[in-house]
Amino acid sequence: MSRTLMMLAGAALLGTALTTGAQAEVIIRLAPVHTDAMVENYNPYNYSGPQAYVQDFAYEPLWIYNVWHPDADFPGLATSFDIAPDLMSVTYHLREGEKWSDGQPFTADDVVFTYNYAKEHRDYPVGFDFYDEAQQSGILTGVEKVDDHTVKFLLQHPDSLAHLNIGSIFPLPEHIWKDVADPKNFANPNLVGTGPFTQVRDFSRNSFKLCRNPNYRENATNTIDCIEYPQLSDNLQVIAAITNGDLDWATDGITDPDITYTPKSPDNHYWLPADAGTNLQLNTTKAPFNNLEFRKAMSMAIDRETLLDIATFGLTSPAKYPIGEGMFYKDWIDDKALEPYAYLLNYDPDAAKKVLDDAGFVDKDGDGWRDNPDGTPIAFKMAVPSGWDDWVNSLQTISENLADIGVNAKMETPEEGAWFENIPTGNFDVYIMWTNLSSTPWFTYHSMFNPRTMTPGTLNEQSMHQMRIPGIEADLDAISGTADIAVQKAKVTDIMTQVAENLPVITLFSNPAWYEYSTRNFTGWPDADNPWARPNNPAGVHERVKVLLSLKPKAAQ
Amino acid sequence: MAFLARRLGFYFAAFMVAITLNFFLPRWMPGDPTTRIFMALRGKMRPDQMEMLKKAYGYDGSLLEQYGQYLWKLLHLDFGISTVNFPEPTSSLLFYAAGWTLFLVGVATFLSFGIGLVMGIYSAWHRGGFFDSVFTPINVMMNAFTPAVVALLLWYAFALEWAVFPLGRAHDINLVPGWNWESAVSISWHAVLPVLSIVLVNFGSWHLGMRNTMINLLNEDFVVLAKAKGLSDRRVRYRYVARNAILPQITSLALSVGFVFGGAFISEVVFNYPGLGKFTLNAIESRDYTFIQAQLTLLTCSVLIANLISDVLNVIFDPRLRTSGGH
Repeated sequence: MSRTLMMLAGAALLGTALTTGAQAEVIIRLAPVHTDAMVENYNPYNYSGPQAYVQDFAYEPLWIYNVWHPDADFPGLATSFDIAPDLMSVTYHLREGEKWSDGQPFTADDVVFTYNYAKEHRDYPVGFDFYDEAQQSGILTGVEKVDDHTVKFLLQHPDSLAHLNIGSIFPLPEHIWKDVADPKNFANPNLVGTGPFTQVRDFSRNSFKLCRNPNYRENATNTIDCIEYPQLSDNLQVIAAITNGDLDWATDGITDPDITYTPKSPDNHYWLPADAGTNLQLNTTKAPFNNLEFRKAMSMAIDRETLLDIATFGLTSPAKYPIGEGMFYKDWIDDKALEPYAYLLNYDPDAAKKVLDDAGFVDKDGDGWRDNPDGTPIAFKMAVPSGWDDWVNSLQTISENLADIGVNAKMETPEEGAWFENIPTGNFDVYIMWTNLSSTPWFTYHSMFNPRTMTPGTLNEQSMHQMRIPGIEADLDAISGTADIAVQKAKVTDIMTQVAENLPVITLFSNPAWYEYSTRNFTGWPDADNPWARPNNPAGVHERVKVLLSLKPKAAQ
Repeated sequence: MAFLARRLGFYFAAFMVAITLNFFLPRWMPGDPTTRIFMALRGKMRPDQMEMLKKAYGYDGSLLEQYGQYLWKLLHLDFGISTVNFPEPTSSLLFYAAGWTLFLVGVATFLSFGIGLVMGIYSAWHRGGFFDSVFTPINVMMNAFTPAVVALLLWYAFALEWAVFPLGRAHDINLVPGWNWESAVSISWHAVLPVLSIVLVNFGSWHLGMRNTMINLLNEDFVVLAKAKGLSDRRVRYRYVARNAILPQITSLALSVGFVFGGAFISEVVFNYPGLGKFTLNAIESRDYTFIQAQLTLLTCSVLIANLISDVLNVIFDPRLRTSGGH
């Protein structure tokens, strides 16, 4: 009897040993979005959180743009695409033999379905830029299935950049979604995708895992078994987690990393490459911001070195030219054309005072502050949401800089919701604002100068300055109307020059792309010496799946 | 009985006012729930899509219509759909968080109460003594401490620097909580710092309240008489003085228990504890109207019920209230 027990125990032990061996899974932990609790929702177009978990990793786009290296994009579900010579259509060549994670084939029908489905359910933000005749906006007019592995998107007018919109769409499996009547409310409990990680496991309010898709085409070379998403509700928690080794990859703001983060472990690393620019959006519909000389003086009065080193903790990067963007698009920047405007970013309060004096901005009522040339006093507010510390510090500095040249500009820190609510109304003086990035500067400047977003009531946060510059609008159309890179570059230079000439926004600096990583469990991270793709992992950075798949698990070495 | 009936009428009126305010207050705040989506999309969403989304969330129609719908749903205990965790029903997260808050704040409240009471009795009895002159000022100070500072210091010292306790959460990340030993250990271990952060700033007020009431009673005739009768110190201290001094404390305790569902948002945020305070704060920041409404309704009910219980207890203990219309 006792012997049987012993044998049983032995077998049990052996079993344990075997299962442990089999369960030595490689798991990478990341927190691409903050949440108070995990929710069972895997809808790729639910932008309240699920998108951050399942886009890229479970659902693949047609094309993965390498924003840092546009000549080294990654194929997604399409292996290539052609823009028609007349720029009136874009044709995608889809992967052949590709399967959804449930074994069904992926074909052109799925892409056509996704297009039509999105058109039927306009409250479901798939993101296709449909042509809207009434609004005179949008570009896409239809889609055609050429054969099982080829789809052609039709455009309303010639556009060489429509692929930026189409390529980033994640096609949905028709056999699942055709039965979904209300996609925005659909939790997509049985995730079916084509990406490397599609199997949901170990769901709890605290975390869940996305594990290997059994049908993923590159399973043979993928060394990572699962992504684990731990619940973390704020910046502080995320940084603490990666500091103590509870996370492998983070994308959150950090201050004083050399004191609080890297000394804690030799495995703790960070790299903060320049990302989107930070500008002052001025309300150019009213005085004094409708005066170019005043805008020039403002720009020259700002001590950007203090902004970089002190206000933003030394984590931001300088801008070189007043083009509404830092050096993110350095391959597009023509130094020769822009050099004459570089002085506008140099801290020179005396020159700024002289510009104001010459333009008639002097203290007429004797209260110690400069007034408008017509005698009305200048006193304006610069707004930033409370709690956005680096930007609060920045506006504080700018407020002092402007006081030094006699301009009465006060900072105000409304609560975030109130700050956002005032954007569309145009009820503001000065806002501090980010820029929108893409693989081409066209997108950034299109957001900033699209006249259709300049109507008070429906203002966009990029175009809230409301300065229409016809030359720029023409250039933007010219860029999307040609596929010739040389022409596009010339037009981009022309746009940048006009921004520098007109100063609709005041260029400050570039924000960092927040990127913290641990070499405790994985190596091979992109860094300053190997910047082959954007290395951070929030939703919208589609390269993140490529970065993740390139990592080497340490145990397997 | 008439007294209780009057109170019940009052509670019903208070409840109606509260649920009305619960509806309108969040909507008076600037901004709306689509802000968060707008932020997440960084320029990729057009204004017409934004309008579609607002409709999807059910924020079209006049405010009065929405109010009608809200009351109707509330009548059916339907708290609606959360927009932060769209389209998860608000109630599922509300009750999840309420459970953890009940545990965290409940334990912390009773610990604060117990510790404060014992310290209060001791320092009142030996007033002016060593214990009293050292701990009473310290507790006054602790009570004045900002809870955020205490919580952050504890978190920084014992979770981040000397990683003795976990950084956050109510239990181990891979644990499925259940009624077993493993869960009990994990949950207790994770609760140490959050509970401590609440107790440290709270027990001082119980201490002071108890001490002051006791000192007043010590000079009462019945205490002098008890001492003169030669009763033991112990008997006088607990049976005569403490027992009387505790009555007002119990009334305050009932109120505190009512407010348990307000959560302890500072400790919950700092220790990533899945409680109501943290969820509500996030709901307020992202204008998740349905969650704010549901949480406030829960809080309203718990406060009213706690008050009702203390009223009933008063009727039982205070004979004057029972003789309805006595004079």
